[in-house]
Amino acid sequence: MQYANWITRVGAYIVDYLVVLPFTVLAALLDSDGGALYYILLLIGVVVGIYNRWFQAGKTGQSWGKMALGITLVNESNQQPIGVGKAFLRDVAHIVDGIICYIGYLFPLWDSKRQTLADKIVSTVVVKKTW
Amino acid sequence: MRFGVRRELSTPERIGVFGVGVLLAGAVWPTFVGATGLGLPCPLRTLTGVPCPGCGLTTGAVALSHGQFGDALAANPVILGVGVMAVLAVVLVPLRALGIVPLPRPWSAHQRRRMGWGIALLAAASWVFQLFRLGVS
Repeated sequence: MQYANWITRVGAYIVDYLVVLPFTVLAALLDSDGGALYYILLLIGVVVGIYNRWFQAGKTGQSWGKMALGITLVNESNQQPIGVGKAFLRDVAHIVDGIICYIGYLFPLWDSKRQTLADKIVSTVVVKKTW
Repeated sequence: MRFGVRRELSTPERIGVFGVGVLLAGAVWPTFVGATGLGLPCPLRTLTGVPCPGCGLTTGAVALSHGQFGDALAANPVILGVGVMAVLAVVLVPLRALGIVPLPRPWSAHQRRRMGWGIALLAAASWVFQLFRLGVS
């Protein structure tokens, strides 16, 4: 089992962000004067993001970003996908990663298992996908 | 070691390479902020008014990337350490890839633990520095 390095995880996160960015940009261009369409675009962006990070990543281990970078999110104990609920909890736990100047997000630079603080809280690891 | 053979970088090397990225980002940060209006606020300070050990690193990175060592030191002295590690990484990683300098030896668990305590003390010192520099708002 080879742990995914920090830059690969950052790349996956960027891809996940780019997936929802078009909806945010379109909504920003419309501004709230766009009426219902503004809120619909924001809602679509939220739904796509939730599907990608909780359902897609939780059930398969790979969000679209992780799929693109060839890495997968698994339970530390059994190397299996973590499920939707745990994927949600992991994202909530990212609050801890960010609260002190985002230092938790840098933990994979020196941690032996390349875990963020959120990973440690919910006992997950991100590893290179072996086909 | 043959040139071009990929290897796992040691932790100091990884931090040094990250430091290179920080300094590059610092060089373009003022332009980015000016164009987008975006920033990187400290979540802890935003929520509680208490600065964290990392406060001032963005200001320090911008100053250091522009050669303003005094301003960088005044913002957060830790950025100078990041700068040193970045320079060492730029020098050592290619020399190791060429086989001119031997590869780093892994540290023992005891050495890693000692370094962990050292980093914790450094973070505490940085926190005290920021509390004096910024106070509690």
